[in-house]
Amino acid sequence: MNRLAERRGELIDRGRTVTFTWRGKTVEGLAGDSVASALYADGVRVFSRSFKYHRPRGLLCCSGQCPNCLVQVDGDPAVRACMTPIEEGMRVEHINAWPSLERDALHALASATPAFGMQVGFYYKTFMRPRWAWKYYEKFLRSAAGLGKLDPQHRRDRRYEKVHRHVDVLVIGGGESGLEAAIAAAREGRDTALVEEGLALGGRLAFTGVDAAARAAELAAAAREAGVEILQPAWAGGVYEGNLVPVYQGDTMFRFRAGEIVLATGLIEQPLVFAGNDLPGVMLASGVRRLVNQFRIATGDEAVVLTVDDLGIEAACDLAEAGVTVSAVVDTREGETDERLGVCGIEHLRGFRPVEARGRGHVSSVVVARGGERRSLSTDLVVMSGGTVAQFGALVQAGGSVHYDAARRVYVPDHVPAGVRVAGEPAGTAAEVPACADGGRGKQFVCYCEDVTTKDVNLSVKEGFASLELSKRYTTVTMGPCQGKMCHRNSGLVIARELGVDPDEQRVGVTTARPPHNPTSFSLLAGRGYEPVKRTSVHHWHADRGGKMLWAGDWKRPYDYGAPDDETAAVHESLGLIDVSTLGKLIVRGPDAAAFLERVYPNRYGDMKLARVRYGIVCGDDGSILDDGTVARLSETEFYVTTTSSGAGGMEQWFTWWNAVWGMDCQIVNVTSAIAAFNLAGPNARTALAGLTDFDLENEAFPYLGAGHAEVAGVPCLLLRIGFVGELGYEIHCPAAAGEHLWEALMAAGEGFSVKPFGLEPQRVLRLEKMHVIVGQDTNAESQPLEAGMPWIVKLDKENDWIGRYSIEWYQNRGNRTSLVGFEGGNGAVPKEGAQVVVNGEPVGRVTSSRFSRRLGKAIGIAWVPADLSAEGTPITLSDPSGATIPASVTLRAFYDPDQERLRS
Amino acid sequence: MIGLLRKHRFFRSHPLRASYDAVVIGGGAHGMATAYYLAKDHGMKNVAVVEQSYIGAGASGRNTTIIRSNYLTPEGTRFYEASVQLYKTLSQDLNFNMLFSQHGHLTLAHSDRSVNTMMERAEVNRLLGVDSRVIFPDEIKELEPMLDVSDHPTFPILAALYHPPGGIIRHDAVVWGYAKEADRLGVEIHPYTQVTGITRQNGRVTGIETNRGRISAGTVISCTSGWSTLVGRLAGIEVPITTHILQACVTEPVKPLLRKIIVSGTLHIYISQSDRGEFVMGSEIEPYSGYSNRGTFRFIEDLAMHMVELLPMLGRARILRQWTGLCDVSPDYAPIMGLTEADGFLIDAGWGTYGFKASPIVGKTMAELGATGRTPDLIAPFRLSRFYENELVSERGAAAVSH
Repeated sequence: MNRLAERRGELIDRGRTVTFTWRGKTVEGLAGDSVASALYADGVRVFSRSFKYHRPRGLLCCSGQCPNCLVQVDGDPAVRACMTPIEEGMRVEHINAWPSLERDALHALASATPAFGMQVGFYYKTFMRPRWAWKYYEKFLRSAAGLGKLDPQHRRDRRYEKVHRHVDVLVIGGGESGLEAAIAAAREGRDTALVEEGLALGGRLAFTGVDAAARAAELAAAAREAGVEILQPAWAGGVYEGNLVPVYQGDTMFRFRAGEIVLATGLIEQPLVFAGNDLPGVMLASGVRRLVNQFRIATGDEAVVLTVDDLGIEAACDLAEAGVTVSAVVDTREGETDERLGVCGIEHLRGFRPVEARGRGHVSSVVVARGGERRSLSTDLVVMSGGTVAQFGALVQAGGSVHYDAARRVYVPDHVPAGVRVAGEPAGTAAEVPACADGGRGKQFVCYCEDVTTKDVNLSVKEGFASLELSKRYTTVTMGPCQGKMCHRNSGLVIARELGVDPDEQRVGVTTARPPHNPTSFSLLAGRGYEPVKRTSVHHWHADRGGKMLWAGDWKRPYDYGAPDDETAAVHESLGLIDVSTLGKLIVRGPDAAAFLERVYPNRYGDMKLARVRYGIVCGDDGSILDDGTVARLSETEFYVTTTSSGAGGMEQWFTWWNAVWGMDCQIVNVTSAIAAFNLAGPNARTALAGLTDFDLENEAFPYLGAGHAEVAGVPCLLLRIGFVGELGYEIHCPAAAGEHLWEALMAAGEGFSVKPFGLEPQRVLRLEKMHVIVGQDTNAESQPLEAGMPWIVKLDKENDWIGRYSIEWYQNRGNRTSLVGFEGGNGAVPKEGAQVVVNGEPVGRVTSSRFSRRLGKAIGIAWVPADLSAEGTPITLSDPSGATIPASVTLRAFYDPDQERLRS
Repeated sequence: MIGLLRKHRFFRSHPLRASYDAVVIGGGAHGMATAYYLAKDHGMKNVAVVEQSYIGAGASGRNTTIIRSNYLTPEGTRFYEASVQLYKTLSQDLNFNMLFSQHGHLTLAHSDRSVNTMMERAEVNRLLGVDSRVIFPDEIKELEPMLDVSDHPTFPILAALYHPPGGIIRHDAVVWGYAKEADRLGVEIHPYTQVTGITRQNGRVTGIETNRGRISAGTVISCTSGWSTLVGRLAGIEVPITTHILQACVTEPVKPLLRKIIVSGTLHIYISQSDRGEFVMGSEIEPYSGYSNRGTFRFIEDLAMHMVELLPMLGRARILRQWTGLCDVSPDYAPIMGLTEADGFLIDAGWGTYGFKASPIVGKTMAELGATGRTPDLIAPFRLSRFYENELVSERGAAAVSH
């Protein structure tokens, strides 16, 4: 194993080896290694192929900021090798290379293409003609696109957890400043948590030498002692409204709500822009120092350091100490040889700038220049220290802002929002950074993720994309997996130079740092994924007896029990029972209850007698039908209101809102879930129910549209004599806790009458026979009662105002344009719901409900037709999605029991 | 390949002049298309487009690029079909490849009621010559093998409305293509020019005030999506619109494997995979109104939860970034286009979540109105006065489900 001598601060456990595979070959690493460090120690230098040109790429940042070490691990398509600890048996594969990482077909193709072939935006200027050929061009483009591969067979797994946490202080970043802030907060007695993304606490301290490592360990110990909860390695996904910070650790997402957030997110070291700056062997100084100090790997035989600041000098010293020959430190700054370099005997080339790195597949030399003087230095490692920028993403997401200070050459915070604090070096280090290197041959990469070069950016500006935002969208610089961490500053510098303006101009400026901080998997975000469902008290009874349970709004309801026609027949001929517990149920109570309903509904309630039920619709201000249901008067001051199943929540809101607006003296209580309701329907309903109650059910005592309290099967119930299905029926409302008992009692009582439970589908047929409208199916958001065939419900002579009155009066004056009518199919064919009413092939109306009624032996339905086609008996033509044309005729009376004889029997 | 060798500047910059025949407010796809057709179809070349930021900074650069015409109402269907027809040849017409790919569009139904709505849309579309039909799980699976059509998901897929001409396009390229050709025809594009006032004399709009100076203009056309109410108010025009945010997100690029555009109204999600390999996804507009461009965490959480139900293979894909855009929502979910009470001030607004796909036809019709003063039949139903006449266009069924 090729490792340097043991030293404080290293992350590896030399006593424990871990084996995994890289592209099928077994690799041995040490416990504590990242996938990247283990592979690097094993001699791997090329980790991936780039997005566009498929150029070989090696390690660059070793801190999860760049795209170069993205690999596929156990089917996971985009894992950052440098941030992922190795595990026994891990299968690691490369991505985006074919047929192999060493020899890639698309790289060969890209190299052979003329220079202008894949210039920026080439696809906007080509592949247009002939028009039909685009799909073939596109097929090729798609085959070359993308990085990793998703497994099409991947099934959802539910091992992901979400945990809700509340803390006083959440510190993002476990570097020196973050640790100090956390310690201070915890010592004040505040509940404090700290999140650190790296493989070690301490930030820069963790990889910059023995003394620094000691200080990091000391701070970490102090933090633990002070009671700071440390999540590491874990990362914060962003800062959202209300100081919500999702933190990811392993398979768990912590949804942190923090009283205060401390942003100690530190700095990101930046690459320098010169030809060949993407060759394997060209690395960031901090990346090299991590490999040397944390994983104890000598990163080459001979190194050249290119720097704009002192960080490069420190890296050179680390390398020298590790036994690597540092041929030179090339420093853009003028001045004397730095003392530290002098001690190590390293040449300090001051005032030089990088021009070009050369090498085939790996760097072998680097050319630097000072004015006209050029020097070529042979090397197998080029270390770049291009200055640092602050990680300001979290600050911007929190509602703060930053700007580029051209004089100081750093991004500085302008505004820090309340509840957020910034710690450490939020401004980055000031250094004069060359925008790009002139004179070199080959591509100078501004953006590693998307393979964007200075030439691309310059061309975009020349073509008129003369701002950072436009150039970004045209060249895709900053839009790749690193989201600008490696390229935002450099692209701004290049554009400013091309435009001839300062980088703090409006046209350059700062692009938005959008969440998430790191690419986040769907699985982590989804968690186990609970989807709430409402079930009635009899749900399991239905399911156990073959009820086909389907979604109906938030509820699951039985569609049928396997034989819908038999269920329909049972209701017509003898007895059926349906669970209607999903109906919305509101109690409106108080001195103003009647007056309130008078204002909400278009029809009258003030004159309603006790123990009676009335059908009602609720309209919006625009006169449209919002919902329908029944209203039972239980006392002078109390009404029991039912709504549609899906309308319960909306109606509760609607009622509550208006009650507040009008300041009326009544209470509105939503009892939907507390009350179960069943409809016992059929000619034998009275006889069957009579066996369970002493309540007088006879027609004289309890006529159609009556309401009364009764004890049924020992359960206190509210009986409503109403029907949606055209036969004698009782709607029985009882406490939900007794629902199953009552249901079973009703089924037992009906046994002698061959009672059948019936589902939604038979109910739809039965109600259609009665031409009852289903709000939401037969009506839409703009249907109003005059046109929907319910002019009788609108009481324009009511003395009080009511919601929708103005609009409905307006419609009354205008006259109907369309009409909701019944129809009978002419040739027995049943048009599909959604079929169109056509005149001369033009759609002029639509079928909203249609079924074949066995009872009536014909196809029946409800449709919207133009007003001039709405008279009884008018022939209409329906165009069915099957392509058939179906003749039909308009019917205005209920198809079944039009005189309500059976209903009132 | 020849195109690559030609070096030209797509857009030039100009000093702001004191007077133009027409000024278009808003440098997005609608504004650029309007300016282009003013110059191209009507010979009006003394036209300026003023944009408060860079061109395409608003909804044009924030939408999820879906083009389709499978609407519910005959008015909506005809209008969007005209747009799709223009889109088909737009790359050639503007000599700028917008990467328009008609891979097909699937709107999923998870309840029998939505199956009915699909049936209705399919039939309206069929009668008007738009290719769309209802298909069922076996065929859905064949068209898009990635979808889980089993009964395992919480909301199983019952059927889908299949619209083969539905597609995706490079949205920014639409703005750039129109801008480039408008520029070539003499239209001046002024980015970073914010409208601060609209001047009216005797009821007639005579020009605008900007942060760069005053401009007089015979006609002012507002194409400003999220800011329509504010711009309208500058001209003294109240527009019945509320502004909401709509959110979208994109994943890291992976090798393409999703063929179709998938939309589920029940789950409030839609997804497509771009030619670069990224999954582009979105959801419903947020129920609250506002101008905050701050995305919510709930959005990506809920979206991810629903996505892995439909497309389990997405479990290991990673969301790269999320963003928001502003949507103008009118009371009937249909746009507001045409004349206003202020002579010389035309409005193009209320585009909710369906404006981008209408860009070419909006440009064409608004330009015709601007140049001739006559409202084209195609956009007559969308006039502002319909709210006072109670002549609403009911597009909620197809449009409330964003894409």
